[in-house]
Amino acid sequence: MDPEKDIPLPQTSSPTSASASASASVPHHPTTTDPDNKDDDHNTTTTTDNKDHPNNNNDSNELHPEKSDQEDLPQQNLGLDTPSTTKQEAEAEAEAEADPDPEKADDALDSDIKEQEQPPADHVNLQEPPPPLSLDLNKVSEEVDQYISTILSSTSKGDESTPPEVPTFVHQFALLIEAKIVDYECDENPMKWSQLEDQDSTSFLEATLRLSSLSKAISELSTEHKHAHFVNRIGGVLQRAMSYIEEEFKSLVEDYKIHDSDHSNKQSTSSTQNQESDENPPPPPESAPLPLEDNNFPGYSEDILSDLIRLSKVMIAGGYEMECCQVYFVARRNAMEESLQKFGFEKHSMDDVQKMPWESLEREIVNWIRTFKQCASVHFSSERRLSQVIFSDHPLMSESLFCSLSQGVILQLLNFADAVALTKRAAEKLFKFLDIYEAMRDILPIIDNLFLEESMNEVKREASMIKGRIGEAMISIFVDLENSIKADLGKTPVPGGAVHPLTRYTMNYLKYVCEYKETLEHVFKEHQKIERADSATGSDFNYQSQAQNPNNNNNNNNEVVKQSPFQTQIIKVMDLLDANIESKSKLYKDHSLSSIFMMNNGRYILQKVRSGNEINRLMGDSWCRKRSSDLRQYHKGYTRETWGKLLSCFQPDGLMHNGKVVKPVLKERFKSFNAMFDEIHKTQSTWVISDEQLQSEMRVSISNMVIPAYRSFLGRYSQTFTPGRQTEKYVKYQPEDIETYIDELFDGNAALMGKRRP
Amino acid sequence: MPATDNQGSFLNRISIRRNQFAPIETCNDQEQENLELFQRHVADRFADLLYIHSTTTTAAVTNSNSNDHSSAAAAATTTDSPSATHETHGPPPPPQLLSISWFRNLLDTYLCCEAEFKAVLVSGRDPSQFSRPPLDRLIPDFLERSIKALDICNAVTHGVDLVQHWQKLAQIALMALRQTPLGEGQVRRAGKALNTLLTSMVFDDKENANNNFHGRWTERTRSFGRRVGGGGGNNKDRTAGNFRSLSWSVAKSWSASKQIQNMSANLAAPRGGESTGLALPVYIMNTIVVFVMWALVAAIPCQERNGLATHFQVPRNLNWAQPIIGLQEKIGEDWKKKEKKGTAGLLEELQRMEKVAHSLVEFADTFVFPMEEEKEAELAALVAELAEICKKMEEGLGPLQQQVREVFHRIVRSRAEIIDVLDQITKMSAPVPY
Repeated sequence: MDPEKDIPLPQTSSPTSASASASASVPHHPTTTDPDNKDDDHNTTTTTDNKDHPNNNNDSNELHPEKSDQEDLPQQNLGLDTPSTTKQEAEAEAEAEADPDPEKADDALDSDIKEQEQPPADHVNLQEPPPPLSLDLNKVSEEVDQYISTILSSTSKGDESTPPEVPTFVHQFALLIEAKIVDYECDENPMKWSQLEDQDSTSFLEATLRLSSLSKAISELSTEHKHAHFVNRIGGVLQRAMSYIEEEFKSLVEDYKIHDSDHSNKQSTSSTQNQESDENPPPPPESAPLPLEDNNFPGYSEDILSDLIRLSKVMIAGGYEMECCQVYFVARRNAMEESLQKFGFEKHSMDDVQKMPWESLEREIVNWIRTFKQCASVHFSSERRLSQVIFSDHPLMSESLFCSLSQGVILQLLNFADAVALTKRAAEKLFKFLDIYEAMRDILPIIDNLFLEESMNEVKREASMIKGRIGEAMISIFVDLENSIKADLGKTPVPGGAVHPLTRYTMNYLKYVCEYKETLEHVFKEHQKIERADSATGSDFNYQSQAQNPNNNNNNNNEVVKQSPFQTQIIKVMDLLDANIESKSKLYKDHSLSSIFMMNNGRYILQKVRSGNEINRLMGDSWCRKRSSDLRQYHKGYTRETWGKLLSCFQPDGLMHNGKVVKPVLKERFKSFNAMFDEIHKTQSTWVISDEQLQSEMRVSISNMVIPAYRSFLGRYSQTFTPGRQTEKYVKYQPEDIETYIDELFDGNAALMGKRRP
Repeated sequence: MPATDNQGSFLNRISIRRNQFAPIETCNDQEQENLELFQRHVADRFADLLYIHSTTTTAAVTNSNSNDHSSAAAAATTTDSPSATHETHGPPPPPQLLSISWFRNLLDTYLCCEAEFKAVLVSGRDPSQFSRPPLDRLIPDFLERSIKALDICNAVTHGVDLVQHWQKLAQIALMALRQTPLGEGQVRRAGKALNTLLTSMVFDDKENANNNFHGRWTERTRSFGRRVGGGGGNNKDRTAGNFRSLSWSVAKSWSASKQIQNMSANLAAPRGGESTGLALPVYIMNTIVVFVMWALVAAIPCQERNGLATHFQVPRNLNWAQPIIGLQEKIGEDWKKKEKKGTAGLLEELQRMEKVAHSLVEFADTFVFPMEEEKEAELAALVAELAEICKKMEEGLGPLQQQVREVFHRIVRSRAEIIDVLDQITKMSAPVPY
């Protein structure tokens, strides 16, 4: 539209304003622009002169810092500003003439903008003393306030009389505000909220509220055509003001900084082992360390925060609370997403999680736990406080915003746990699953306390469901372990009767598992129950089948009664291991080796149980005693099997005939002793007893058994042989030699023996 | 449908005889009966959904083509709100294809079919059949597909969040436009909210797949946003960024379209001997899962949906699948139209919301105070329709989202149950990793 057409409107107001003298003063400062272009009092004082200074806006902004110099101006104006009513009326008439259709002017907003972008030019001139009739916002505001209260009192009295004309100062007020908005949001150089002086921003917000009540008051006053136009006019300006406020609110609320100081702290703790997570459950929400020390509310400076509060208050008071909520919601939602990323939590699809190599997934789990804990202990509560602070007068609104914001984040976090729970089960995953479970166990109550809204019940339900899935997955892992042990039916015996890798693996696994005893007790109590309740095809099958395991009955019958489900589980696995090891021992053709194998494995199991506090307590003393006595039985069995035969060489039966040694028999005895001992030494040096203590115990007990017997046999019969060749032939070993050779047993070193053999 | 269905089972019986000697698991009579029943139920249930569509097809067409919003509103309102004051003719018509109510029926149908499928597949079955062909191959495949469906469920859950966000923006517009007398300020306020809504829709849809949205977006901004938005260009770009990340809580590279493609990739109808055995219900269930997920993705904003129409086809010769094929064709056509038009999703309410929003933005652009009576009537109709859409969303989206979650959890639960069965037969499971 042709800008000329709209000139009359501001022009007509200029006689009462500064512009008359202002335009006169232009020559004084043709280029020095007044930085005070936002000054309340002067915006509308547009003159045609402005068109000569299209760059004024920019200039004025550059000079912004000087602004304070000008701040006194409005106050100075106050005294001088005594507009005569008559003049105002005249002006109003003039205005009406010039622009009989005010809404037309509004339609032509673009041209309005063009025209009103100019105001700063006026300020160039305002260093001159303002003229008496300048439009002063404070003054007009007062009048408007009075007007509003008049209307309100008249409407409340039910005053039927025809409503009065809308006074001119009300028009002026609308114009002043509109001009200011136009100024603030001009395309080339928009005014950011943060750039506004306190005074300006306050007066702008007040003015907006005043507009809002004005519009409400007048529309209640009458629906008369004339008034309707005016309400429309006011409404238009109010909308612009609110729109500006909304945009500024948006850019402020988006102006957060996510600081990752907590991040680095957390990283160091969480990268250490999981036992720590036991000892350091996240603090309850009340005592949660809020990042408030640095006065940096979820990433906002104090200034921004107070601006957010002020802007939101005006938006809500002016009936723009829905906009306010939407803007706030979008911005904070993005902020929360961003901080999830900062914590190192990455979004993965369920499909991807299934395909991810376990090592990578483990890392992601660590990140997840850290993020989840951080969210629950710090993040959510500070987010809640943010919404409480910004919407302090509207607790319901702030709570519902906070809930819907957190809901998305919680669901995302839960989703990852769910995806992990669905991955292919494997024994080694148990410990990370435990970490997830413990994290959830600690965090879900915090979340329960944090979110009291009913709308969050669904999330809470999902959370406990997913926790249940993790629990069930862990139980399945145990069942898998049982099955794996049962299925471990390799036909190749471990050389030398050494500890079987199955024993080693299972015992180390169980010992580690028992470190999580408390959690697992809980898991077995909670989730086994669930399984039984709702699944006909569940793993009850397995449990039943294992209950029939004969070992179960043999070993632990009297303890079964008071066992906790987890204890039962551990004992079940132990029994399966025992049964498996026992069957593996049958793979050895040599009974002695079979006993050594049982001793080795039994010893390993016992040592593991004794060295672990939890597992030791779990298995109990009587179990340990039982195992020790089992071990002694194997020991005895071995000794009898291997050395009992050897000692039979020393039996006196048949050696003496009529008081004389039967030499050929004696020769036979020595020969067979030598051969047997050679054989034992040869084979049993390749056998293995890796436990040093057991090894030396064995050697000592063998020596104690063999050497004295041999020594006395030797002492009694060796003289029978003629010294020299015959003795050398039959008495191959001296007792000391025997001892040396016994000390070579169970070394598992066949090569060494080959060397030593003569 | 009953005629064709009988024919179907008849044909099935013939083929059983023909394949009697095939070395597949021998289905006893009872089982065969269950299987046929399952097929018939699937056909019937989807026929119901299709019937809904065929009776309202004409209405739907006129709705989407005519500018008479009030009639569309009337037709839709009568569906499930008895309080509607519009003319009531006979029983309330079934929900319109792709409407929120229709999707709720669809998900119900899914849940029913799923329950029956599990009964057919699992209960009373000798677990060892799972380790023999064809199940040994089909079940893992089915389970993998389930996981992919879970991702779709998640994406759709978030998509519904987004639709709810749009609904709130529409409600701002509604609130503004309902003021009397309607002034310019409120009209602009409504326009602003609707512009935000439409921008968000464009962003969501095109996302960063192509730069198309930039053109469309700035065009719209120029027409309106600048005047109402103020704040300068800088602001707008930031706004743009927001919409995207509000929409997606899934991995950045994730694509709903690709997911559907993967889900239907190795989905082949059983042939020969397998076509009457247990392979059939598995195939049917697979088809249902893919169809339901595909329809959800088509209707509700999801990340990256290019080429969705071509990513899922059902062989045309299967009797039980006829209704699904019918639905699939209809939705596929709609989708192709959508890809040309670039709307946010095929959800009936969403399409109408978008259209009404456009009309209202146009209205706002040309608004002059005071309103002419003619315009007033036009506006009243638009507002009524928007109000009606918002009401449907308000009532339907929450339950729909919950239903999606239910489907999600059902899939997880069933998967666990099937894995339990597998565990029983594969005792040798994993070797101890020593």
